[in-house]
Amino acid sequence: MKTVAAPTPGQVEILNSPTPKPPRSTTPWKRPLGGTSPELSLPTEVRFEQIRHPQRPSLIILLALTAFSVVRGNESIIDYHLVRGREAAPQAAGLYEGEDLPRSGTAREQGMGHFGPHWSGDAHLLWHGKVGDAFEARLSVPQSGRYRLTAQLTKAPDYGKFTISSEQFASEIETDLYAAKVRIAEPLLLTESSLPAGELVIKFRLRGHHDKAKPFRDAFYLLGIDCINLRSLDPAPVAKPSNPNKTTNPSQHAERLDWPTVQKTFSAHCYQCHGFEKLEGKLNLAERDSQESFLEDVEKARTIADAIRFGEMPPEDSKPLDAETRQSMADTIDTWIEETLQNERQLPVSIMRRMNRFEYNNSVRDLLGLKGDIFALPEKPIRAARPYFDPASGHYPASVRVSNRALGKNQIEQHLLTGVTPFAIDLQAEHGFSNQGELLSVSPILLESFLKLGQGIVFSPEFDDYCQPYDALFTLPKTVSISETNAVTRHARQILAPLMERAFRDNIEPATLERYVRHFQKEFERTSSYTHAMKHVVAGLLASPQFVYFSERKASDHEAPLTPYEVATRLSYFLWSSLPDDVLLARAHSGELLEPAILQAEISRLLESPRSQALSQSFARQWLRLDQLITAVPDFERFEAYYSRIGCEQWKFGLQTMLEPLLLFESIMVEDRSIMLLVDSNYAYRSDEMQSWYQDAEPFNGKANRNRFNTFVQTFRRQTLDTRREGSVLTTAATLTMTSSPLRTNPITRGSWVATVILNRPPPPPPDIVPEIEEDDAAIEARGLTLRDRLKQHQVNPNCVSCHQKIDPLGYALENYDAVGRWRETYRSGLPIDASGTLFGESSFNDIIGLKDALLKNPEWFMRAFCEHLLSYALGRELKVDDRPAVDRILRQVIADKGRFSTVVRQVATSYPFLHKTHQTSENSVLPIEEQTSEP
Amino acid sequence: MILKKQHLSRRTFLRGIGASVALPYLDIMRPTGAAAKALRENPPVRAAFFYIPNGVVQSAWHPTEMGHGFPLSPTLAPLEPVRDKITLFTKLDRVKVAGTDGHAQAGACWLSSAAPDELSPAGYPLKRTIDQIMAEEAGKQTAFRSLELSCNPYEDNRESVYFDNISWYGHGHVARSLRDPRAVFDRLFATNESVATGSTLDLILEDARSLNRRLGRRDQEKLDEYLDSVRAVEQQIERVRARQASIDALKLQPPVKPWQAMQRDEFIQVMGDLMILALQTDLTRVATLMTGPERWGSPLTVHGLFDKPVQHHGMTHAQGKENVRKELEQLDKFHVEQFARLVSKMDAIKEGEGSLLDSMMFTLGSGLSSGELHIYTDLPTVVAGSGGGRFATNRHVRSPEGTPIANLWLTMIRNMGVKLGEVGDSTGTLSVSA
Repeated sequence: MKTVAAPTPGQVEILNSPTPKPPRSTTPWKRPLGGTSPELSLPTEVRFEQIRHPQRPSLIILLALTAFSVVRGNESIIDYHLVRGREAAPQAAGLYEGEDLPRSGTAREQGMGHFGPHWSGDAHLLWHGKVGDAFEARLSVPQSGRYRLTAQLTKAPDYGKFTISSEQFASEIETDLYAAKVRIAEPLLLTESSLPAGELVIKFRLRGHHDKAKPFRDAFYLLGIDCINLRSLDPAPVAKPSNPNKTTNPSQHAERLDWPTVQKTFSAHCYQCHGFEKLEGKLNLAERDSQESFLEDVEKARTIADAIRFGEMPPEDSKPLDAETRQSMADTIDTWIEETLQNERQLPVSIMRRMNRFEYNNSVRDLLGLKGDIFALPEKPIRAARPYFDPASGHYPASVRVSNRALGKNQIEQHLLTGVTPFAIDLQAEHGFSNQGELLSVSPILLESFLKLGQGIVFSPEFDDYCQPYDALFTLPKTVSISETNAVTRHARQILAPLMERAFRDNIEPATLERYVRHFQKEFERTSSYTHAMKHVVAGLLASPQFVYFSERKASDHEAPLTPYEVATRLSYFLWSSLPDDVLLARAHSGELLEPAILQAEISRLLESPRSQALSQSFARQWLRLDQLITAVPDFERFEAYYSRIGCEQWKFGLQTMLEPLLLFESIMVEDRSIMLLVDSNYAYRSDEMQSWYQDAEPFNGKANRNRFNTFVQTFRRQTLDTRREGSVLTTAATLTMTSSPLRTNPITRGSWVATVILNRPPPPPPDIVPEIEEDDAAIEARGLTLRDRLKQHQVNPNCVSCHQKIDPLGYALENYDAVGRWRETYRSGLPIDASGTLFGESSFNDIIGLKDALLKNPEWFMRAFCEHLLSYALGRELKVDDRPAVDRILRQVIADKGRFSTVVRQVATSYPFLHKTHQTSENSVLPIEEQTSEP
Repeated sequence: MILKKQHLSRRTFLRGIGASVALPYLDIMRPTGAAAKALRENPPVRAAFFYIPNGVVQSAWHPTEMGHGFPLSPTLAPLEPVRDKITLFTKLDRVKVAGTDGHAQAGACWLSSAAPDELSPAGYPLKRTIDQIMAEEAGKQTAFRSLELSCNPYEDNRESVYFDNISWYGHGHVARSLRDPRAVFDRLFATNESVATGSTLDLILEDARSLNRRLGRRDQEKLDEYLDSVRAVEQQIERVRARQASIDALKLQPPVKPWQAMQRDEFIQVMGDLMILALQTDLTRVATLMTGPERWGSPLTVHGLFDKPVQHHGMTHAQGKENVRKELEQLDKFHVEQFARLVSKMDAIKEGEGSLLDSMMFTLGSGLSSGELHIYTDLPTVVAGSGGGRFATNRHVRSPEGTPIANLWLTMIRNMGVKLGEVGDSTGTLSVSA
């Protein structure tokens, strides 16, 4: 049994450290509070960490905090680190490491890492005694209520038989811890009952020993406690749905203008290029002589409003428009669009799509209760040495042992079930995810795969052991005689009905059920084997269109709410990338899922399940486009530290950096922090090697390239950062390396990444003329030029300038990081680095800290982008202009709640587009929201 | 070499550049039986496409002379041994449509060449590609309607499906290419593995029908893809079963080496061999083979050619510099060499009076002429084989200014027996006979 690691005392000490390391940079994390002592300005987070204690987990999650602003100069920036905890009252629950329990008698800690990866914290508590002796484990119950109490013990040849009891609960459990080899025992349920608040004493009394057990030191028998898990069974209180403010739009602060005023502004600032004389971007504003004609093409109007709002238009070299006018112009056009669309808005169609490969694997795994994946999935970047992801705890471990599949070659060819070969990985959309219906079709070759997979999985030699409810699903109970065909058929029907409901995620029509029963009968008659016939039916089920497609019943009206089953399906594939579990299905079956309070409770429940790790494995990986790191090849000589050498092979040590942004994402998710930490965070998860990578001028003391790296599993520790140059997803080695070339940085690629990922304003496709710059910055610097100078030389064509004005500054801001993401003060030749620029034509910055500040000062930029990315992922389609009001509504709540992760998810999962479908005609395909042309 | 014949004492290994192009084992594996005999006496016309991404260096590509026996250019030099059997076409164009990436469109739309006003919802001039149109007719007889292969060596999923595939059933419905030689082998030859019984197909067809009743219009269209695929697989199972004995008799061994461990030339040749085997054994008559995907700005190691990993795409934009252009010419030549080796192999397979190659229209091409500026005109196009005597070979045919490449596609489609008046933006057929 694998369990979740809680922080060990040693790790807490790191966070507790009373004397933080002296800051290395001039921009330390400490934000000066006007006039207060430095001590008071310590990040508050650190002080919260100080009161954490593994013995009292309830304290960890009682910290639902309201963020406050820190005043710096005249500007107010919220410290988003203070946002923490779930909306709902915390569940009293916790995991008690055996080795951390108060010790008495012979109890001591024993490291267990060399026996395998199964012990939580790599250690357990070891005790020995004589028959009749007892060890008392002392825990504390935070509040009275119903709990499930389980123990994770160790088995070995010299371990005894124990009776486990407590005065606080009635049950008495007997267990024999003898085993021929040292191993972890099956989890042991101690009780499910009401417990009073206060101390809970669990007594482990040695009552004897197995015949084969050998005594320890000739007289004693042993007890090993890996961990004890106390989990509340009381339903989490349903969060009060907050009242969305229906009238204000987050971007609506400015005065509303009338058409003549707008037209006058167009005429003064825009006609010159977008009029009858010149037709830049095929746009003639002058011919739109009334508000009505201006709004004929709402998509275009939206593009214009955004171009003005974000300072993209008018371009730098033309007559400038002041910020206030820009805001009021953009808001006015937005309002007009709102009004125009009010009556004719139609929810864009979500075309029926099939599961992608990741979803197919998860669905089969969960439908059949398999112990693991059906095939190796390179799309899962995080491989855990043992499960650590436990969002219900509200606590993300201070250290996790994980690896990245790209590190180990043998992980590529790994087969989990003999004869089961995966179909091709589904690729990401250009500005989206691998779950877009447009890109997911069923070709003959894929159908062939589905058919082969169905057969291959259930008939593979490992399947019977791999399938946990195997007996229930595939064997005939003794009570049913194999010779009584009717009884066998009846039993098959009983098994199939719920299985099909789960597989098809819908009420099963009697005719459909009977078809499957007949299919069973035929096979049963042919083979006289219940198991064979049942497997055969399940194989068919796995290729059925009702399994592989997310189908929704047609909306007869203009727009219709989803059925409860459809909501359940969208919800579970959004948060789990898998099918609904029994609880969710039951709530769909009864229809109560449509009740807002129940829906909210289910969203919480799904988010708190370990299955929600799919959000980091799939959403976060794709959102950050982290796959690109796999093929990054920094020059071997210049960036030796990126590589390590094992035997005669070169390994990319740097690949493990891929995990840093993902673990940050997970910690934000599990601890329910603000998504703004994704652009500015005061902590990061890093391996020791990575820490050296960032901190040391000469990483690894110049010993790179030696056989000193463990390329498989690494311990990633939560590191408190003392500089804002590091952390977030923006300034990590992974994202900075994958946007560089082998011999230099690539500001345009970096800028384009920031524009796409952080701001969701992807630049138009690159034009045909792509002047190539020298591949080695040494060649550029030899001429006394910086890369920035060189790129500027190339921008003589005004058509290029207008786009690059937007993209490049975002990349220049990152010029202080070399091609493998390490900080540098100057270029290698000593030339100075210019990292200044302007964001959206209004926020100027001098360096990366300035860019982060600009993002924090205007949190709606990143929040909107993130909400759009997540909504697009949840819907499995691109967003269209008709989705804008929904995004605005989501954004209002997210801003109000300072970007709390669960609020983002909750808002997306209760948004109008998520809960509705639209009537389909062959005409109602609308243009994408970011409709752009590449022609200048 | 990956394809071993168990009872052969003689093995042919193809390793490294410049290895012998002869591949005698393909000849030994001549299918037997009445059907095979008929096939040999009256070979069908077949089509295959060999795609090079990112265009080629123009100056080194174009021969200066026209007509019969033209002197080969530096990049085309590797075709010398097979020059009697090839035709070079120049001045064939596509029309680029603004709004989608120049590379994605170059690859994805190369074989459909839809008119600029026929855009898919995603903005691509992308319709059913000609290999799939050909397969409607040519696939009536064969176990597999068509075969789509790619030697895409990247594992980073950097680009979307439009960069990685040149074969499409229609817009939004990609014929995903197989990248793993082992998977290709299993699909074609490890056919003893049961796909499904007829009863399972009936079951899922019924599921599809009952599903269809409750779907909206667009979803029904989507489900049609599934239904088409069920029918295709049904036919395939039937035909593979009929061919079972003759396939088993070949006693083929699957590729042992994982593709990740193959060098570039090896990867392309192994995929090419599998394609040739499928054509030769008449398991299919239509195939596409991409040597790599469009753009994909990830560095790649090309053993024997460059010391360090190169970015093909980046090089095409930097070819203004002489040193880069020289290197790029080497890479172009390398691809032509891979093509030439496959052509020679086809020509070594005797069939009827001539060779497998004689029945082929084996087209080497790219959706870009020069990658430097994403040019869609004067696309590099070489057709090997005479398509059953239809193409007069050993010629350089220059079309009049503004001739759509769709005219060549239409010529080929007709030669496969598909009676279509036009395809994509075609304006007529090309004159390809002497």
